[in-house]
Amino acid sequence: MSDFAPVPPVSVVLVSGASRGLGLAIVTDLLERGVKVAAFARTVTPELEALASKYPEDTHVGSVDVTDEKAAQGFVKEVEARLGVIDGLVNNAAIGQDSLHVHTSSDRIAQIIETNLTAPLVLTRFVLRRLIGKGLKGRVVNVTSICGQRGYQGLVAYSATKGGLDAATRSLARELGGRVLVNSVAPGFFASEMSAVLGASQLESIARRTPSGAMTTPDDVVPTVRMLLLEQTNINGQSIVIDGGGSI
Amino acid sequence: METLDRPAVRKLMGEVLAVQGKTLPDDDAAKLADIGFRSLDFSELALRVEDEIGDELNFEAAGLRSIETIGDVLDLLVEIQGQ
Repeated sequence: MSDFAPVPPVSVVLVSGASRGLGLAIVTDLLERGVKVAAFARTVTPELEALASKYPEDTHVGSVDVTDEKAAQGFVKEVEARLGVIDGLVNNAAIGQDSLHVHTSSDRIAQIIETNLTAPLVLTRFVLRRLIGKGLKGRVVNVTSICGQRGYQGLVAYSATKGGLDAATRSLARELGGRVLVNSVAPGFFASEMSAVLGASQLESIARRTPSGAMTTPDDVVPTVRMLLLEQTNINGQSIVIDGGGSI
Repeated sequence: METLDRPAVRKLMGEVLAVQGKTLPDDDAAKLADIGFRSLDFSELALRVEDEIGDELNFEAAGLRSIETIGDVLDLLVEIQGQ
């Protein structure tokens, strides 16, 4: 019989890319449930500042570019000093793409990969080293995309990073042996500026093919992120698609 | 760079096991599998060593060495410090 105890709910969560959209919705939801939340983004928005003011004891907010390794690691240390050891990580920060691959510069490809894949892997490594070194357990949620599993024109490099993060999710879950639960959520296209790159006809096509009849919203994704961080489910190494069935 | 000697690493190894309610045997020949010291426990121990010495260990220097006993763990972690 296994002598592993379940991984407890998280108590201190770090959310990257938290200034708006899904990241902001995740931060809001966790704070409302009494979880301590550290949140960073390149630019701290008034909405994020308002949350920090509303929950001053439970939040730590900073302006950090996720690709700035030193800044991100410094932020993690600040969080530890203020809120405690981070036992939950939501890798949400990402940049989009709006160009066919043949028209995307090599510099832009490198930038997309650095932001969407390299940076979360480096941040995850740093957080996990501090967690495991203290003998603690935790949970990681990677925000990927249906693009990691299905093809969409104009999103080649973006899709590669999201598929890569899904793959890393599985291997990390295996490597961490149940001490840290690692999963990803793969939303369908939000009706937002990210999906605007697809163009009206492609968006219409996606909506028409979605059994639920609706595009995904951040509020559709938040409950799954909450479950993966707070509930006892034994879900591990999975990429959970949240797209109304549009990709089935 | 400060380094940890074998008894110091052994003490940290005992602490990693103690958190799990296990006791580190005195015999360095004891098999890791028999005492329930898993690969992640090795990672935890290595990270604790790194924290003590203030530097990352160079695992490339370890090659593909087989680690089966307590003594193997101690030998490795002492050897790769400072490499």
